[in-house]
Amino acid sequence: MTLDPAGEAPLKTDDPKTPDIPDLPTHTQSARRCPRRSRSAINALLALLVSGAVLYASFIGAGPLPALGTAFNPATGAWTMAADAATVQSQTLTIPGLQQPVRVMFEKDGTAHVVAQTDADLFLAVGYVHARFRLFQMDLERRQGEGLLSQVVGKAALDSDRFELQLGLLRTAQLEWAQADDTTKVALTAYAKGVNDRIDEAKKTHQLDVMFTLLGYQPQPWTPIDTLIVKGDMTQTLNFTDTPLVMALLNKSLGPDLTQQWFPVLPPNPQSPYDPGPYPTQAKPAPITVLSSVTDSEAATALALHNRLANLPPGLVATGGASNNWAVAGAKSVSGGALMAGDPHLHLTLPSIWFQLTEDSPDYHTSGVSIPGTPVVLIGHNQHISWSLTDAQNQQTFFYEEKEDSAHPGQYFWKDAWHNYTSVSYDIPVLGGTTDHLVVKLSTHGPVISERGLTTSVWWAGNIPSQDFSVLMHVGQASNYQEFRDALRDWHSPTHNFVYADDAGNIGLISAGYYPLVAQGQPWLPMPGTGEYDVTGTVPYDDIPQIYDPPSNIVWSANQRQVGPDYPYYIGTASNFFDPGYRANEIKRVLSQPGKLSAADMMALQTDTRDFLASEITPILVQALAGDQLTSSEQQARDLLAGWDFRMETNSAAASIWSTFWQSYLSQTFDPTWKAKNVTVDRHELDDALGQYLEASTIAGGRPSCPPNAICEPPPPPAPPLGALRSAFHAAFSTLSTKLGGDPGSWTWGKLHTRVLENLAQISGLNYGPRPDRGDGNTPLAAGGDPSTHGPSWRMVVDWGTKTFSGIYPGGQSENPASTWYENKVGAWWSGLYAPMLSADEASFAPGVTTWAMQP
Amino acid sequence: MKGWLLLFALVGGTAIALGGVLVGAWWLAFPAGMLVGITVPQARLGVPAGALAGLLGWSVPLLVIQVRNGLGSSASSLAAIMGFTGQPAIPVILTCLVGLLLGLTGAWLASALRGLLVPATR
Repeated sequence: MTLDPAGEAPLKTDDPKTPDIPDLPTHTQSARRCPRRSRSAINALLALLVSGAVLYASFIGAGPLPALGTAFNPATGAWTMAADAATVQSQTLTIPGLQQPVRVMFEKDGTAHVVAQTDADLFLAVGYVHARFRLFQMDLERRQGEGLLSQVVGKAALDSDRFELQLGLLRTAQLEWAQADDTTKVALTAYAKGVNDRIDEAKKTHQLDVMFTLLGYQPQPWTPIDTLIVKGDMTQTLNFTDTPLVMALLNKSLGPDLTQQWFPVLPPNPQSPYDPGPYPTQAKPAPITVLSSVTDSEAATALALHNRLANLPPGLVATGGASNNWAVAGAKSVSGGALMAGDPHLHLTLPSIWFQLTEDSPDYHTSGVSIPGTPVVLIGHNQHISWSLTDAQNQQTFFYEEKEDSAHPGQYFWKDAWHNYTSVSYDIPVLGGTTDHLVVKLSTHGPVISERGLTTSVWWAGNIPSQDFSVLMHVGQASNYQEFRDALRDWHSPTHNFVYADDAGNIGLISAGYYPLVAQGQPWLPMPGTGEYDVTGTVPYDDIPQIYDPPSNIVWSANQRQVGPDYPYYIGTASNFFDPGYRANEIKRVLSQPGKLSAADMMALQTDTRDFLASEITPILVQALAGDQLTSSEQQARDLLAGWDFRMETNSAAASIWSTFWQSYLSQTFDPTWKAKNVTVDRHELDDALGQYLEASTIAGGRPSCPPNAICEPPPPPAPPLGALRSAFHAAFSTLSTKLGGDPGSWTWGKLHTRVLENLAQISGLNYGPRPDRGDGNTPLAAGGDPSTHGPSWRMVVDWGTKTFSGIYPGGQSENPASTWYENKVGAWWSGLYAPMLSADEASFAPGVTTWAMQP
Repeated sequence: MKGWLLLFALVGGTAIALGGVLVGAWWLAFPAGMLVGITVPQARLGVPAGALAGLLGWSVPLLVIQVRNGLGSSASSLAAIMGFTGQPAIPVILTCLVGLLLGLTGAWLASALRGLLVPATR
């Protein structure tokens, strides 16, 4: 740009050195003045344009840039994160809505202890504390479930919003709130009040999280329905599945017989059900016929819907969980008291899904982890009992193809009559775009989620209103197994394996939730919506998988099928519903060993990297290679496998060889068929199920015999030829040589396998890692994928004999990346260390504790 | 051009810009620049003075944050959010630049309009 000096002092007629020119002809003066005036005009125009551009960028933003003025104002913009990141100081706060003073203590690592004199005050204070440290996370979660992400991030989130509103988390939350009992209403109302107190305070003091500032919006007031939405998000993540669509696509491409052989109802490999029976005998399930063919139109419909779901952001469709929990009775523990361990495996994010705290009030004395946005401790302990969860993974999602007819527009055929769809309309505001109008059709089965091809609706247990917060509050108040079990009777979705241990040495495990039963048909495929195949009920509570104080003195769950092959109810297929079972098998193996166990043993097992599948297959592979022609380097690789302890440690070369071999083995076994039959589902999505088949065929046994009920299976798979094992080994050797060089001893697992904790807002610069890490998808220390993004989101170990409670999660209490509490717990977690879970009384004497005195 | 006038304009403009930043009216850096541009008749002085007023109004609070809490961690985080991981100077520079540009354009616009609307002294 050019600043024109003509505009400031254009003519120096008073300059004595400048001759006066009064007598110049008029046209000459005009000739001199015009360029000057033109230059002035151009200068002004330029100034106006540049000023406009600067002001536009400052007020509105441009492209990906936020409104620069608002965003970077040092006093009220993004830089306020510096003050927010400063160490929390002891102070007195005035919190509107409190009935009595409340004390909140923070340990040096940020763990919070809330001590209130009334239950309502407790939940109000927890709401305030959550919002103080996790408000943006909470807002994102409610926006996701309510279909309001587009409002703040633009049309990129429109597919997600449309899907969420179709699926119906908002409708369900509204129904749940309308049906909530008084206890729940008091808790959620108080919690919302606390959140809103913080929102008001943050707005006044310009302390909203930096992401609000950069995205250019302010949070709306929190409501109890928002809390129910956050719970719904979690339910969806854990058990809204597309497996029936996948099964339909497999059926179409592979054919019914091969699909049933590779993706059976009962797992073909060795399993460790925690509830071995005996099971109820009065149940007489209807026969389940073998798979029938899927029609072209059904397959096309399934493909369209499957692709739509596949393109949604991660977390909206359950892709299989991986969590561990177990308990050891006092009779088998060193301390004489019951031991309990729990580590739910979830997407590892910064900030974490968890916020650690203790809650103390007249009726609640719980300690553990909560989900920001919700008022209760989800996993933890009280004065008498402890509990933890893993996903049960039974089938809770069923797809129905609605019968329609052009002669009956807007209707579907169900139970011999035509019925009108009901409909709900939504307006989805879109940042930078026009508001999207969405009409959701509802049949008797649930929302219509696809009209491409056959109209498909979905019956999902997560859409049935349930009083889960009431259940969790009663769990938190329970003092024995009977009360614990009674409380869980009303837990519906997602189905969870609730492990239990108490101060009297008792242990238990119950997989609470709905186990939907269909009248007939093949529930693992989309079913006709004409009424004959509807969900008719659920497995009775007394018949669901559960166990209490077993003779073995141990209970365990790791997403495996909880029951044996003779369980009389259909609860899901092996493929994509239940875990293959390697972690469960390993946990059972360790816990079953002779001798007594200690809390240290529990911690060691939570961070154990022994791969059960490798322990089964590697000896067979080594034996198969004995007669093979091997180069010296290949012999070295084989020897590494032969001397391996099956642990996936970062310094283990054998771990790399095993992992690469198994991938080659899967690829060589199944890829030719995949290609020949043009299977439209990514094979890697199904590696767990295919691996179970391959495992069973490789060890040539372990397949359960056909039980005396109707869920019958095809004969055991044939053992693979020796050459397949050898060929896969050679392929793996070649792959590793290319990737890591010629020396097998240098092929350490850490060179191939990393873990990353991803920033929740998907800002890669705020991730932790990727860094080399141990474990894999089959080890108790779960670390599937590369880089691994899922894993133990919280580790807790309880020893009721010594009354010691330990826990750690990968993250920190604050969502502010500039805060020392953003990732301060990650290092200890990564190293397998634990922090003591102090009571509020203990915390008050802990070094470095700070206290907020909250006043009404 | 009297020196005291320039100083007065600079101090006044800075005070307005700074006050605006502190109360959330960050845009006051622009009229502060205009004030400087109007007050100082020579553009070659007024425009830089306006820019300086905007810069000071925005950078002094940053300096205070640095003294009180330290800027480093926040600067690193903001840089990462902006896609410039490991370059914490960028958000600091950007912040100062916004203040500077607001003051500069304000002064420039005022000066240019002044040159356009006010007839040259004869």
